[in-house]
Amino acid sequence: MTKSINTSGVGNAINRVEGHLKVMGKAKYASEFPVENKVYGQGINSTIAKGEIVSIDTSEAEKLEGVLKVITYKNAEKLKTLEGVRPEIATDSIAPVLQSNKVHYYGEYVGLVVAETFEQAQYAASLVKFEYKKDPTAVIDFEKSKSKAYTPDNGSNYSRGNMEQGFSEADMVVEQTYNTPIEHHHPMELHAVIASWDNGKVTAYSSQQIVEDAKIAISGTFQIPKKDVRVISAFVGGGFGSKLNLDQHVILAVMASKMVGRPVQVTVTRTQMFTNTNMRQQNEQKMRVGAKKDGTLTALSHETLSHTSTTQEYQEPCGMVSKMLYNVANNEVTYKLIPMNIQTPFAMRAPGEATGSFALESAMDEMAWKLKMDPLEFRIKNDTQTDLHENRPFSSRLLVECLRIGAEKFGWKDRKSEPRTNKKGNWLIGYGVSSASRNSPYLKTHSKVILELDEDKVFATIQMDATDIGTGSYTIIAQTASEYLKIPVEQVNVELGDSDFPITPGSGGSWGAASFCNGARAACENAIKTLKNNRNIAEDKEVAVSELLKKNQLTKFEAEGIAEPSAEFGKYSVFSFGANFSEVWVDKDTGMYRIKRMVNVASAGKILNPKTAYGQIIGGLTMGVGMVMAEQTRVEPNFGNFITRSFADYHVPVNLDLANIEVIFLPEEDKIANKMGIKGIGELGITSVAASISNAIFNATGKRMRSLPITPEKLIEAGLEEGVTA
Amino acid sequence: MRPFTYTSAKNKEQALQAFTATSHYLGGGTNLMDLMKENVERPDQLIDVTNLDYKKITSNENGGLTLGGMLSNSETANNKEVRTNYPLLSMAMLSAATAQIRNMASNGGNLLQRTRCPYFFEVSMPCNKREPGSGCGALNGMNALHAIFGYSDSCIATNPSDMCVALAAIGATVEVQKPDGTSRMIEFTDLHRLPGDQPEKDTTLMPGELITAIHLPKPEFSDHYYYLKIRERSSYAFALLSVAAGLQVESGVINKVGLAMGGVAHIPWKLTKAEEFLVGKKPNQSNFEAAAALEMKDAKPFEANKWKVDMGKNAIVRALTQAYERKV
Repeated sequence: MTKSINTSGVGNAINRVEGHLKVMGKAKYASEFPVENKVYGQGINSTIAKGEIVSIDTSEAEKLEGVLKVITYKNAEKLKTLEGVRPEIATDSIAPVLQSNKVHYYGEYVGLVVAETFEQAQYAASLVKFEYKKDPTAVIDFEKSKSKAYTPDNGSNYSRGNMEQGFSEADMVVEQTYNTPIEHHHPMELHAVIASWDNGKVTAYSSQQIVEDAKIAISGTFQIPKKDVRVISAFVGGGFGSKLNLDQHVILAVMASKMVGRPVQVTVTRTQMFTNTNMRQQNEQKMRVGAKKDGTLTALSHETLSHTSTTQEYQEPCGMVSKMLYNVANNEVTYKLIPMNIQTPFAMRAPGEATGSFALESAMDEMAWKLKMDPLEFRIKNDTQTDLHENRPFSSRLLVECLRIGAEKFGWKDRKSEPRTNKKGNWLIGYGVSSASRNSPYLKTHSKVILELDEDKVFATIQMDATDIGTGSYTIIAQTASEYLKIPVEQVNVELGDSDFPITPGSGGSWGAASFCNGARAACENAIKTLKNNRNIAEDKEVAVSELLKKNQLTKFEAEGIAEPSAEFGKYSVFSFGANFSEVWVDKDTGMYRIKRMVNVASAGKILNPKTAYGQIIGGLTMGVGMVMAEQTRVEPNFGNFITRSFADYHVPVNLDLANIEVIFLPEEDKIANKMGIKGIGELGITSVAASISNAIFNATGKRMRSLPITPEKLIEAGLEEGVTA
Repeated sequence: MRPFTYTSAKNKEQALQAFTATSHYLGGGTNLMDLMKENVERPDQLIDVTNLDYKKITSNENGGLTLGGMLSNSETANNKEVRTNYPLLSMAMLSAATAQIRNMASNGGNLLQRTRCPYFFEVSMPCNKREPGSGCGALNGMNALHAIFGYSDSCIATNPSDMCVALAAIGATVEVQKPDGTSRMIEFTDLHRLPGDQPEKDTTLMPGELITAIHLPKPEFSDHYYYLKIRERSSYAFALLSVAAGLQVESGVINKVGLAMGGVAHIPWKLTKAEEFLVGKKPNQSNFEAAAALEMKDAKPFEANKWKVDMGKNAIVRALTQAYERKV
């Protein structure tokens, strides 16, 4: 029966297999599961940055119709608490909440109201009165608190070669500081959970990127066996890192369910998305770059000053790019953190690369300008095929090809090297380029395939606890099964996001596609191999899976598979690479600018589905445009709250802000990366977009913008009428 | 959200009769509902006035148009007569918010939209406008987006409307129904008030008064007009600063100017000095620059919003230039 059916296999631009469910509203997100008898919890947030709760008056709230419980630290379940001084936050960290009267940041949960309806819970939450004793030592002003910075004890500081010698060999030195603000993930789907506590067993429909880690976090926080926790995250409306770990609202819901004896839904409001679901922290990155006149890099130093919370430690690896992207013998990367009374930051799309590349690729552009070199050629001159940080070769690296092909498509040769020479009316026009790189991890993944024979057709179900955070996991896993079972994708059913399914690393860090698909591949291969072995059929003999089932006299067969990195994998550095080109028109009177064109070239291994991959890159570029144009969360310097508290204040790009975007995937199959040749793509797109646009703004205006976002007021402050101030 | 009662008024009499001290008229709800969800506005009763018969655009005795108070911003801005005769107003209105919000928002409501000051929106922070006597958080806080003209120690917030900036440039009269059933007329420039020591009062409307119509003067700026809105993204953003400019030019000389600025004061800021200066002058760069300088020298920016002075100068010159060059 199996003709060549690979129109739906790996590499084909098929439509999303779950697309119809989504447009019909049938794809169930966490808060949409029809759990009977459920009630609603509404979190209450602190209104001071540091201090103690002195008194709580719940009487008015408790009097309201429908209110079942007001939970505060006074009556909360006892939970496992964090140990040690600022333990490092991880994707499976426990998330204790309401365990004392101490307040650590503005917006921290101080209570939860449980009521029959959402409206009742919300209104009651506004009536609970807290009296605080404010601690005046709250650390809320980054600029004024730099003396409190410490070096994290996590081994991230790094150096190679001899920095002093490197800078002494340099003919030119660029030394500049680049600032990026607090940013928030803001997936469209609000974080939400429906949790039930049933005789010590927990079921949580929760919007999570990694269900296994959510399960570990719940069991760890309540100190109950892992087997008694089930987490279901069938569809996730975006995560960007904010749903990597388990946030406290899930613990609140589980606790509330235990206390009221009914399932409890907690949905984080958009304003609470700022304070209770992580963020990217503010970074001050000091770059020092040395180069010879001919453009050879001699030294590169990358110092990052950031902040973490007072309760947990997170350090974004901003210097990662500086360690591996270019051929520079002398390199130093350091980190310092200020413990602040702001919530704990955590990974946001391309942690390290998104922000680090803004600093590095801006500094590279500054050096090229100083050397009077074409910034494209300067980058190519300093290419390396060896990862000097790990001291091992890249499994594949097509950065130069990305830059060359991008330059050709973009028309880079038309760029005027002197700023402010390309003008049209009120517009100053500039071109910018930047290199992009992103680590491409591949992690151990379990998967199960269930084959069912219906007359001559085989229907396959793939199960794993992987998640689809909007990226297309369902589709590419179905395509993989189609490829390896040689059946049409219509006969493949993919079931994800249930912690009862085989364990995967979940979605995050650009490891999802490679891990999930190889996991599905392993299960399918295992199924076929077993069916062949059972009937003594040579493994290399092509037999349709339907025939194999018949020969085995089976109508149903299950097999599991495990995919994991090979020994070879560890001998190489595995990264995706890319190049960004942009053309920006800056209005010299108003400081408003338009990004007219963007060209992105990506070398990201085997492209499983050009449609979903394109969506990933476009999404990344859009988020990169957001970083440049508008995204920033501002901390009020006297009170410590975020004054950007809704989408009216926290601006993300609108369609009109986006340019004509051309995305080019270079053909690449990196068999060292993994058997299917897949590399990560989810974070490559955002990487270095900000630098590409900022470099174009310099080329247009002659003004070097070193602080994101680059807003009209900052350009006006820079003085768009004057000459070049590099 | 606090519980409240909802009353749908079928006519003006019902609306006026239902009004109590803790009531709020409900137009499109695009601002009021947000503020209620934030616990900033806490009415006990909403009186829906969107069914009232003030949804027409008619000709008035001054040779201008009268815009119904309950007509939506979309229907107003896209009306053929408005587009032809008051393109400046149309342009300003269409630069505001999003198509969805403009479909909901009413003309009367637009005139009454409240500030976007973050201290006003967050009930745990001090704000004299929200809670008189609690102090102004922005004064010594984050004020990069705040006023540079006409503010007081009690309040440095700005008016967020685009429509109002155009109306300040064009000139208008606002018709208001009083609770006693009679009506009164308010000059548009008298509708909004500077904060002084009563920033809780955005306008000169008395409790229970309802805006039913906006009377526009004879069209004067249908040839030379421009609404310049400066913002960090291309739509769905309040103006960092905006300028509405209308010119009437005869024989190479300006004989009428309408000029106002948004995002700089508690009210749509009419640029009277610049207007007066330009009348009788030639519409050229140096006169536009002189007019801009004349206005902006009165600005009293804070450290964080000094950029508004430079941006303001550029914006006045640019808006006037664009307005003039539209038809030469």
